[in-house]
Amino acid sequence: MRAYILRRLLQSMLVVFVVTTIMFFMFRVMPADPTTMFLEGGMTEEARQVLLEEWGLNGTLWEQYVRYMGNLLTGDFGNSFFYRKPAWDVLWPFIINTLWIAVPGLLLGAVIGSGLGMIVGWAPRGGKVERSGILLATIIRGAPSFVVGIMLLAIFSSWLNWVPGYGMGDPQGATGLMRYLNWDFAHHLILPLCAVIIFFIPENLLLMRSGVVEARTEDYIELVRAKGVSEGRVAWHAGRNSMLPLITWLFPALAETIAGIVVVEIVFSWPGVGRELVLAVVRQDYPVAQAAFFLMSIMIVLANLAADLTYSKLDPRVVYK
Amino acid sequence: MSQSEMYRAPRGLRFLAPMLSTFRLLLRDRFAFWGLTIFALFILVAMIAPWIAPYDPFAPMMTESGRLIRLAPPSAEHWLGTTAFGNDVFSQLVMGSRVALRVGLVAAIAVGFISTLVGVISGYFGGIIDDILMRMTDVALSIPTLPFAIVAVGLLGPSIDNIILVITLLFWRNGARIIRSVVLTERERVFVKWARAAGASHLHIILRHILPNILRVVFLWVTMSVAFAVLTEASLSFLGLGDPSITSWGQMLNTAFASGALRTAWWWVAPPSLMLITLISSLYLIGRAYEEQTNPRLRERT
Repeated sequence: MRAYILRRLLQSMLVVFVVTTIMFFMFRVMPADPTTMFLEGGMTEEARQVLLEEWGLNGTLWEQYVRYMGNLLTGDFGNSFFYRKPAWDVLWPFIINTLWIAVPGLLLGAVIGSGLGMIVGWAPRGGKVERSGILLATIIRGAPSFVVGIMLLAIFSSWLNWVPGYGMGDPQGATGLMRYLNWDFAHHLILPLCAVIIFFIPENLLLMRSGVVEARTEDYIELVRAKGVSEGRVAWHAGRNSMLPLITWLFPALAETIAGIVVVEIVFSWPGVGRELVLAVVRQDYPVAQAAFFLMSIMIVLANLAADLTYSKLDPRVVYK
Repeated sequence: MSQSEMYRAPRGLRFLAPMLSTFRLLLRDRFAFWGLTIFALFILVAMIAPWIAPYDPFAPMMTESGRLIRLAPPSAEHWLGTTAFGNDVFSQLVMGSRVALRVGLVAAIAVGFISTLVGVISGYFGGIIDDILMRMTDVALSIPTLPFAIVAVGLLGPSIDNIILVITLLFWRNGARIIRSVVLTERERVFVKWARAAGASHLHIILRHILPNILRVVFLWVTMSVAFAVLTEASLSFLGLGDPSITSWGQMLNTAFASGALRTAWWWVAPPSLMLITLISSLYLIGRAYEEQTNPRLRERT
């Protein structure tokens, strides 16, 4: 077991190293000189060199690469061309904002989705509940999340005017946790959160349903039924066993959500890390774009590692080799 | 869909027999039937789009007195109204189907080809080749999908070919994994061992015995890839990273959203949204039915 963990850790580190390298060269091979962005002030050649040095863009590509990797190890992502401060300082608040919609969205989506999935899975085969459940889930799954977002925005914000559809409110001097623990923030949070929840319901529903349908034919279900318990409890037995793949699916799903809710953040102008990535690409602010991309990759690698380790812990049939 | 049914196919079509039998299997499922019908309709519309679209999608519509028709609601001349820039929404919608299907089909075929190549080589030969290819796949699987697409298209420049390239680079990885695992089981089949014992070459075994039996999984993955590709293209266009010279559904929503017409111009927002949902769902319906029919534990008992 310990050897397995160690091997997976080393593998993950190698993956992170390769992804970082690919990312570095991807950004540097493209022709872009950030100093041109600040040229309007009539910059002298000396001042330009100073700026290039400040951003780590001097020397050969190889020197830049070694310097960049060295800085990464110490947690230095370089300075933002646009904000003129360390990329990490720029990104940090955005990450928290993203987590506010990603984590509750994923969890609520998983709970509601798998609950519905249990119902659909336990419904009579070929019946109305099953057919409409599957059809609805597939249609919602086929709706791009920005389309869902636009619809929510049009109905609940523009038309009914119930909730604001822009940004996350003005904290007005509130600091620390109090920035988030107020009614205004919650009011702004509702719509983007709903968009993320809707995004997750169908996938969970269909996964859970397949699990329950497969479990229905197992012998242990017959045994439970033979004990004379209520049909609801029998369904629970089938559902509980279908949760194992769901639990391990959650980790990678969270990582993909953080990376995938870019469009939701754009629709609702939610100041998250995904929206910042798009803005950074448009502004050619590569240190920030690189840092955001790096963080998302790290999260995916760590999530996959966590999923593998949890799975091997939960399912005794998994063999480590 | 027994072996005998497979071999009854005419000689020239023998290789396609698994595809045909899959197709027959899909038609039996009501959802898949509708999915296939809708998808076929989309392809038809895309093919004859220039003849359906009444106007040039980027041409500004003028009244007789020479004024721009901005944000006009649906009428007899403009079935789905006009945009804030005076473009005909219906023409944009019809022409948009071409981009969606072009990106979807070209990228999906490229994805299918690469994932089959990697999956078959990795699964069939095993050993160090398998190790190298699968570590490459691991790296590719750790790349966040949409952020990579945003950064890559942002760096390469927003053209339709670059979007197709980026989608292909993204989605071969999952397909390669799935196809490899199928090849791993096919490789151990008795007829493969016999063929090997009889001295058949690797190429012969792969083409004659492995490929026909994994074609269904490839077909499923290509179907799903069309959906992913359409979705990715629409997302990129919505984010303003689409090809500016061609009208697409994502781009329509982007301009509608950016011009703040969300509240008033439902005729501009709803049609492209519905088109995207219908096209992607129809592909998912096909994919789902396929999974249901091939997994004996999920199949409905009749």
